[in-house]
Amino acid sequence: MRILVVEDEPKAGDYLQNGLTESGYVVDLARNGVDGLHLAQQFDYDAIVLDVMMPQMDGWQVLQKLREHGDMPVLFLTARGELQDRIKGLDLGADDYLVKPFSFAELLARLRTLMRRGPSRQEELLVVGDLQIDVLKRKVVRGGTRITLTNKEFALLQFFMTNQGQVLSRTLIASRVWDMNFDSDTNVVDVAVRRLRQKIDEPFDGPGLIHTVRGVGYRCELEE
Amino acid sequence: MTRPSLTSRLVLLFAILSVAVLGTVGTDLYRELETQLSLRDDAALVTRVDQIRTLLQDANTMELVREKPRLFENMLGNPESLLVLRFAGQAPLIEVNPGQVPIPQVMPLAAETRLALSAVQHTVDAQGVPFIAVAATTQTADPQQNLEIIAGRLMSERTRLLHAYRDRIVLLVAIGAALAAFAAFILVRIGLKPLRQLARQTDSIGMANLGARIDEATTPSELSPLIRAFNAMLGRLSAGFSQMSQLSADMAHDMRTPISNLLGQTEVALGQKRSVDYYETLLASNFEEFQRLSRMMDNMLFLARSEHPEATIERVQLDVASEFDRMADYFEGLADERNLQFVLDGHGTVWADPILLRRALANLIANAIQYADAGSTIALASVENSMGVQLLVENTGPAIPETQLPRLFDRFYRADAARRGSANASGLGLSIVRTIMSLHHGQSSAASVNGKTRFTLTFPSAPLI
Repeated sequence: MRILVVEDEPKAGDYLQNGLTESGYVVDLARNGVDGLHLAQQFDYDAIVLDVMMPQMDGWQVLQKLREHGDMPVLFLTARGELQDRIKGLDLGADDYLVKPFSFAELLARLRTLMRRGPSRQEELLVVGDLQIDVLKRKVVRGGTRITLTNKEFALLQFFMTNQGQVLSRTLIASRVWDMNFDSDTNVVDVAVRRLRQKIDEPFDGPGLIHTVRGVGYRCELEE
Repeated sequence: MTRPSLTSRLVLLFAILSVAVLGTVGTDLYRELETQLSLRDDAALVTRVDQIRTLLQDANTMELVREKPRLFENMLGNPESLLVLRFAGQAPLIEVNPGQVPIPQVMPLAAETRLALSAVQHTVDAQGVPFIAVAATTQTADPQQNLEIIAGRLMSERTRLLHAYRDRIVLLVAIGAALAAFAAFILVRIGLKPLRQLARQTDSIGMANLGARIDEATTPSELSPLIRAFNAMLGRLSAGFSQMSQLSADMAHDMRTPISNLLGQTEVALGQKRSVDYYETLLASNFEEFQRLSRMMDNMLFLARSEHPEATIERVQLDVASEFDRMADYFEGLADERNLQFVLDGHGTVWADPILLRRALANLIANAIQYADAGSTIALASVENSMGVQLLVENTGPAIPETQLPRLFDRFYRADAARRGSANASGLGLSIVRTIMSLHHGQSSAASVNGKTRFTLTFPSAPLI
């Protein structure tokens, strides 16, 4: 998977390149709009991360030129969260946007959605280590033992298992599991995860399956 | 193009008015005089012809006319007058015509007809001077014949008089208009003096003395509403301004805690070589502080944007019961940690923006959970009345002093001073609730009695279309 990052701010460009590379992508970094457009026209990227506020040629112009030829998925980054800005970007043909400051986990999640070709297929059976859930029958089993979960606990676990190995931020979890689309000052997600762990991790001898990524959020994975 | 000034407009208005009034009066007087003069002249001419007619019925007079026509000519002696005496179809016996006026073609009145003013014929000569003429027939005694008398008068004298009179009127109208305009100018200057004073006073008010007010006592009463409105505006500006500087101060204060943590722990960490674990812990801690700052900024931006007059919301009818269920569902774990129970009593619908409604409710419920006595219940209820729908969030817990209730919704205000700077609360939660409610043209209020703290959100109902 190849991603182009167009970002003029040096620190932002560096950490985006590092982070995305570590997440397993091949990343090209352009430090200005002109270079970015040039690269985008030369190579076929799976996704483009485009900063809007750049000198000389801003993100809107790059986007406009890009849309004259192809339809590579574009996610734009804006420091101004104003509605008109977002509408403008989407009107110009961008596929998604993030308002700065954003969480890197959120960026990864959005990029994955963008690059998923075709409609996503809902897995019926999800497995991590010796834990498996049957989505249709709403059955959770670990090491042969049946576990009873509440609806929300099940939804949370399903979300974790669908996104195995990925760091999921609290905001993302709140938004996808509870449809709460705003940053809240509460630790609702932490409590929910703790209660889920009490049911699926603590009673069992095996390794923990849900890990805390300090400060950032959580990750579901069988660590070797 | 600049709009004409009040002064020039009033001056022009006054001038036009006085021209109109004086002009109307003058014209009317002129017409009246003209009519009266004309009547008098007509009457004089008729009388003359009548006299001549009577005179000529006397045989002696005819004799005299024949012998001494000059006598008659002299008798008239007026260069404006015309007199012709002739037997029908013959050369005139007498023609007195010093003005060389063409003899008018008038059908003479029959001898037995009495002369009246209607017999006077009005014409105008080549120079536009009115000319009046009367013609009559009389039966002479000897010989018994019809004698035509044609008398006329050219009104050059009268025309001169009327022209002089007209010129005088025009002059008077002009002088009157000039005087009125000048008076208007002076009056407006004097009348607008308080406005100029007002401008001077207004000019002297700036950022430094926003507390100053314009003096209402010395100005005319007409300006009082303006001054009161202006002072009220100053009051609002001043309040807004001090609120804004208070806000900046509060925000700076609230940012100080995370920034001080960030600076301090990073500085200590960089002081010497540390283990990877230490760095990891430090970065994670920094990350938390940054998130706190970022959330604070998001909330500030949300508030700033929502208070923009053009901020719009998308309202739909939402089922209250299912919104309450969703909230209870979301906060279930958190409430359970403190052994709290939700009691839900929602029914009907509320007309609101879904995301904003949930955000407001979430803020209130998070507060309720934080301050509720362990093991108590948190009640979510809805009340419908004619005004709209009230959503109530009630918890059992320490009372909030009466004096603090109105300030609860202010930004960065915390009833519990000790919790200032506690990691999660930004101090903006309730002010966001208030802003969300004002976006809905609704209200938010708080009450704390008998150990129960209750927050009420009032949503107006959807307008009937």
